Amino acid sequence: MKQQKTLFMIGFLAVSLVACKQEFLDITPLVGSTEANYYLTPEDAEAATIACYNNLQQEVTNIQGSAQLAPHFRWYFGDICSDDSFKGGSGDGDEPDLFLFENFQGNSSSKLLLGEWQVAYRGIAYCNLALNNIPNIEMDPTEKARYLGEAAFIRAYWYFNLVTVFGDVPLILNNLSPSEYQQGRTPAAEVWAQIEADLTAAREALPKRSAISVGEIGRATWGAATALLAKAHAYQGEWQPCNDLCMDIIASQEYFLDPDYANIFTEAGENGPGSIWEIQYMNASGGNWGNQLEGTFTNVWQRARGQFGGYGFNIPEQGFVDEFENGDPRLAATVFQVGDQMGDRGTFTLEATGMPHLYYPKKFFINASDEAPVGDPNPHGYSNDRVIRYADVLLFAAESAFYIGDEALARQLTNIVRARARNNNSAILPNLSAETGQDLLDAILHERRVELGLEGHRFFDLVRQGRAAEELADLGFTAGVNEVFPIPEVEITLSGGLITQNNGY
Amino acid sequence: MKKLLLAFGFIGAILATSFSQGRMVSGTVTAAEDGLGLPGVTVVEKGTQNATFSDIDGKFTLPVSGDPATLVFSFIGYRSTEVSATSNQPVNVQLDADIAGLEEVVVIGYGNQKRSKISGAVGTIDTKEITSLPVLRTEQALQGRAAGVQVTQNSGQPGSTQSIRIRGTGSLNNAEPLYVIDGIPSAGIDYLNPSDIESISILKDAASAAIYGARGGNGVVLITTKSGNKGQKPQITYESYYGVQEPWKYMALLNAEEYAILMNESRSAAGLAPLEALSNPAALGEGFDWQDEIFQRAPMMNHSFSFTKGTKTSSTAVGGSYFTQDGIIGGEKGRFERYTFRINTRQDGGERFRMGQNVNFTHLNRSALAENNEFATPVGRALNMDPITTAQRPDGSYAYSTFIDSDIANPANQIALNNDFWTTNRFVGSTFAEFDILSNLKFRSTMSVDLSLGSHRIFYPSYDLGIGENDPERPAYEFRPVNSLVLGENKWSNWQWENTVDYSKELNNGDDLQVIAGYSALNNLSTNFYGSRDSLASNDVLFAYLSNSMNTAEQAPTANGGISESAFIGQFVRVNYSLGEAWSLAGTVRRDGSSRFGRNNRYGIFPSFSAAYNMTELPWVAEKDWIDFWKLRASWGQNGNADGIGNFDYTSLIYNGLNYTFGSEQVQVNGAGPINTSNPDLKWETVEQTNVGIDADLYKGKLNIVADYFIKNTNDMLAVVPLPGVVGFLPSATNVASARNSGFEFMVNHRNQKGLVEYEIGGNISFIRNEVTDLGEGGQPISTGSVFGIGDLVAYTEIGQPMAYFYGYETAGIFQTDEEAAAYEALPNAQAGDVIFVDQNGDGVIDSDDKTMIGNPHPDFTYGFNASANYKSFDFSLFLQGTYGNEILNGVFRYDLNTTNLPVEALERWTGEGTSDWYPRISHSDPNQNNRISDRFVEDGSFLRVKNVQLGYTLPESVMQRLQIGKCRVYVAASNLFTFTKYSGLDPEIGTRGTLEIGIDRGFYPAARSFMAGVNVNF
Repeated sequence: MKQQKTLFMIGFLAVSLVACKQEFLDITPLVGSTEANYYLTPEDAEAATIACYNNLQQEVTNIQGSAQLAPHFRWYFGDICSDDSFKGGSGDGDEPDLFLFENFQGNSSSKLLLGEWQVAYRGIAYCNLALNNIPNIEMDPTEKARYLGEAAFIRAYWYFNLVTVFGDVPLILNNLSPSEYQQGRTPAAEVWAQIEADLTAAREALPKRSAISVGEIGRATWGAATALLAKAHAYQGEWQPCNDLCMDIIASQEYFLDPDYANIFTEAGENGPGSIWEIQYMNASGGNWGNQLEGTFTNVWQRARGQFGGYGFNIPEQGFVDEFENGDPRLAATVFQVGDQMGDRGTFTLEATGMPHLYYPKKFFINASDEAPVGDPNPHGYSNDRVIRYADVLLFAAESAFYIGDEALARQLTNIVRARARNNNSAILPNLSAETGQDLLDAILHERRVELGLEGHRFFDLVRQGRAAEELADLGFTAGVNEVFPIPEVEITLSGGLITQNNGY
Repeated sequence: MKKLLLAFGFIGAILATSFSQGRMVSGTVTAAEDGLGLPGVTVVEKGTQNATFSDIDGKFTLPVSGDPATLVFSFIGYRSTEVSATSNQPVNVQLDADIAGLEEVVVIGYGNQKRSKISGAVGTIDTKEITSLPVLRTEQALQGRAAGVQVTQNSGQPGSTQSIRIRGTGSLNNAEPLYVIDGIPSAGIDYLNPSDIESISILKDAASAAIYGARGGNGVVLITTKSGNKGQKPQITYESYYGVQEPWKYMALLNAEEYAILMNESRSAAGLAPLEALSNPAALGEGFDWQDEIFQRAPMMNHSFSFTKGTKTSSTAVGGSYFTQDGIIGGEKGRFERYTFRINTRQDGGERFRMGQNVNFTHLNRSALAENNEFATPVGRALNMDPITTAQRPDGSYAYSTFIDSDIANPANQIALNNDFWTTNRFVGSTFAEFDILSNLKFRSTMSVDLSLGSHRIFYPSYDLGIGENDPERPAYEFRPVNSLVLGENKWSNWQWENTVDYSKELNNGDDLQVIAGYSALNNLSTNFYGSRDSLASNDVLFAYLSNSMNTAEQAPTANGGISESAFIGQFVRVNYSLGEAWSLAGTVRRDGSSRFGRNNRYGIFPSFSAAYNMTELPWVAEKDWIDFWKLRASWGQNGNADGIGNFDYTSLIYNGLNYTFGSEQVQVNGAGPINTSNPDLKWETVEQTNVGIDADLYKGKLNIVADYFIKNTNDMLAVVPLPGVVGFLPSATNVASARNSGFEFMVNHRNQKGLVEYEIGGNISFIRNEVTDLGEGGQPISTGSVFGIGDLVAYTEIGQPMAYFYGYETAGIFQTDEEAAAYEALPNAQAGDVIFVDQNGDGVIDSDDKTMIGNPHPDFTYGFNASANYKSFDFSLFLQGTYGNEILNGVFRYDLNTTNLPVEALERWTGEGTSDWYPRISHSDPNQNNRISDRFVEDGSFLRVKNVQLGYTLPESVMQRLQIGKCRVYVAASNLFTFTKYSGLDPEIGTRGTLEIGIDRGFYPAARSFMAGVNVNF
């Protein structure tokens, strides 16, 4: 009898343990939300929108699935792969992939391509999350429309980068479920159409710069969407709509040129009168490699080596320096030459840099005293990335005016840019007056090169203008191939072959 | 849970004890070898609960229920003996020493088993082996002692962890075994005082580890701490040693003159003028030895005492210890201190109820220097720093280098300014109650807690190595204008509740049945809080507290903290069945659930079977008198490996740090979104292992052999497999990969006595082959192991190859002439003196497609050898350990900076046709990228290390009696006395960083050579 009771009790014990186990294993995270309980409140909508912006700062990023870091700067392909600058660094082996791309020998297995591709699609994924989830949130309709406009603008920005770097790319407008992970390429024309649609929507939803508060500086505006849309048309050779949009911006009187060109690239010049679209960085302490904080790596990357403590990338080429007209003050604002004072870091001598280069880029130079004070000796810099400036819009206006046959307007617009650069010194940079036809176009394109030098535009401008084969022939540019970069090999594999390689790679 | 408590109480209540008092048997137990009385021998009447212990003279008295009664006498180290006794007739029994160790009871999961009956693969290390060399950390006791167990230091710095691989690397994630200390699964064993350990069992095969189910996949290390024995007289032990550690090797580097010559050459090759400071190399002479600057002799010391005592119904063990070890770099800046205190007690409550308590308290202090990376460690900096710069200027201030920028700052200054402290208070306690429901049915309930409080304090003082203020020459790295402080408080708490029922029955036909079933519930909770501030009023670490900050800006203090929790539930049953003396069979099933597994895979079932056959039962074996014992074993089982899974890895958390800066005031605004994809299917990694082995004891126990062959397949291995970029989020780990480890282990031991010399020699060797068999859809290889000086990832994990092998370019010598270089079109920038990289795919271009296997960090075999001898009062032991066939990637030098110091091999660089065919010319610009990852940096990592040599002397008894001391032994010992290796770096014994970075030397913190003198006293 006793034994039976014992067995009964053991059974009871086992059953009671089983009964309580289900809840025992159900543990929910107490810090942070899961995807299941997010995108519900206006605060969530704002945070989801800010997440779209966050990815814009991802310059040195972890390649997914590996510990590899890939720098991804606009000036890598924009400047170094053009005739404006050399790679630099400690030698050819410092960022060897970039060295290959600079000489148009890069191949599809490079991590730089993966960085470019993955960062763009990561940005797009956050935009898609915002665009798909914010409409369902109950909130103030004006705010909601603005958030959606911002996400649409940023999505268009990423597709603009993708289509100019890779050509045809997968067009992803929704967050993918596992069965949809493998996607093929969408023709560039359709990608451009989506860019235009997103920017048109953003243009309608976003406030003008004059309408936003001081605390919101840096957020996407009507001007940014309009300018990017104008640029999109320019890249497709659609000059009339490009011109209309540029003139729209000019007529809005939202922007004007900073009278002092050099001031644009100072800390005080950030988000200045001519700033249309700037990626914001701040002085964040504790250089946290790969784990992006709020600062930029461009400052340290482009600073001279040796006592200047930089990595010495993006070395201006002689041809670029020669492009500047005599006395053009923009040269001194763009390039350091031997003997120049490099801010509070000392005088530029070959000894001090330990390298043979005669020039260093200046637009992203910051003083040691302005660096983040604490932590890693290589802090992130604060310099914003001036992606679209008013001068850029004026020059697109001039270029499009030329193509639609209004040479007078083209000259007039170019002269606005030259006049600012001249800064009341009548001895230099005379106005365009008689230039016409090809000479006028050359003058406009020359103006683009010096006005926007080392700001990440040159390679893409040359390709867009169909001049890359001619201008970059020495570097090994092959027409019909190097207009776009190879699709990352890994992405082709992972797509199960749905993605095809670009011609010639 | 409440229900369960009630149930337990209820059982206790309904089962009242009732015993009948029987007849008495008394007698004496003596040892066969000397005829002296044996105290502490367990005497049990077979088939009953009646038991007692012999007293100091070996005498015992036992109430028995049968007449005649069968008495079983057992004692550690002696063969147990059965005797039939009738009451009122004295029983005199002689016990034979168990030379072969067949009676030795081995701790297995949830119980013990006689060694002769074990059917799985279990390695054991006993207290004698642990105390034969003073081990600083418990893991060291495992090193080289058990076949198939590879223990490698992850750093030579005091207090650093060791990586343990049981039968190879079985996971891409967490490959460390599960530690179970006195039944409590434990994260880390650094809280233990090695002297407190009674025995260690290593469950190597799946069948042995199966009772730990989802957590046993990497093998299990069971540690049992000392507890007193019932009936044992009081014993006090005091152990102490003092030692001095020193570096045993410096790397051969360039002196100042040689450095200057090579730098001038390097600059000239890049078209740069020589530096003024280096224009006269001969005048620079030897220069400064940075290794000598950072390395030093460092003391270590240990005091440990223990007290054990038993009564008829209870036993008590109390122990305490203090251990301190300074680093051979930075001395007290790398100090590790350990204070331990423990009480282990058992009580009998009547004949059927037993309970016990085990309480440990450990206080750890650790001051640590950065180690094992190529950016900011004293070792890396000392090896890379130019030999012209001195640590200090004549005025005593720390100097900076004018030759090297970036990461190579003055290491002496770094050490002086280092303030990184961890203080941990850890409390581990458990209590059990055991009740005999029936004479052969036991119920046991164990509750345990493990609470750790860890405080972390890092202070970064401000400094400026410039000469005067704003020295324009001073590199950015040698300047920190504002000091700052980080303080963190961490709490880890676990509790575990286990209930087991143990049933054993001797069947009528002589077979034995033993069943153990149990239930285990475990909860882990961790919280942390970190805060930091800058601009402290004082630059003295003494005053480094948050409230001393002068920075009143609201943004200045930062604080964050969190909480994380997980839970685990397991149910298990094991059946052991002995078929006479011939067969031992065992089967185990465990079902485990974890909150860490995804919703679709919350529970896993882990089965195993094993069998052993005693060949000695066969007549043709039994008749061979040189075979004492011969057993064949075979086992199969499945385990899980779940400890590499994070608490919420299965879901996609919304991360709150996706911020952006807006406004003229640059205010960070919070953004949020997921980072990873989610994986509701996430589950354990399945480890399936088949093992066959033999145990043999030959020539009257003089020769023992254990040999095993195993195949261990890990399936459902978690890997982060790249997703197409268009998905946008980072991939989370999925159970897609597989790996196989297979190998052979062999252990042999011989002991004998020649005259007055007793000696023992033994060795073990294991051959393990590691291979990745699957990496999921597409089989994308995994690149790991960033080495900055080489500018690339150097380790590669792909299907068909061992994990994390070295991957890079194969070289084929040096171009001797420009013509030769020009003819080799695959390297367009090469010239005479540059390295010839092999174009593996023959496409005429050297790019990443030409990378290939250039080395394997896994050894062909690892081995250990020990020898010991006693002669009169002297004892001697020697222990060697080594690996063979593994390679090391030497990533010590920062070639990317092109002005670092270099190994002396650089003197044999190419300087003209025929001068060198392996070391390239030196060039600042290096257009051919000679320093890209290649077989030039792969070295043979085989080594043989004289791990320990010890000579002891036990003071004669006559002296002891006068001093009224039981036993006193003094000894001198040396650790790492000699290391034989071809490896050029500071230490060939290089562990892992993560699981997939093996044998990569980024300026490894080397193990010290140490000399010790110690004393062990028993009262």
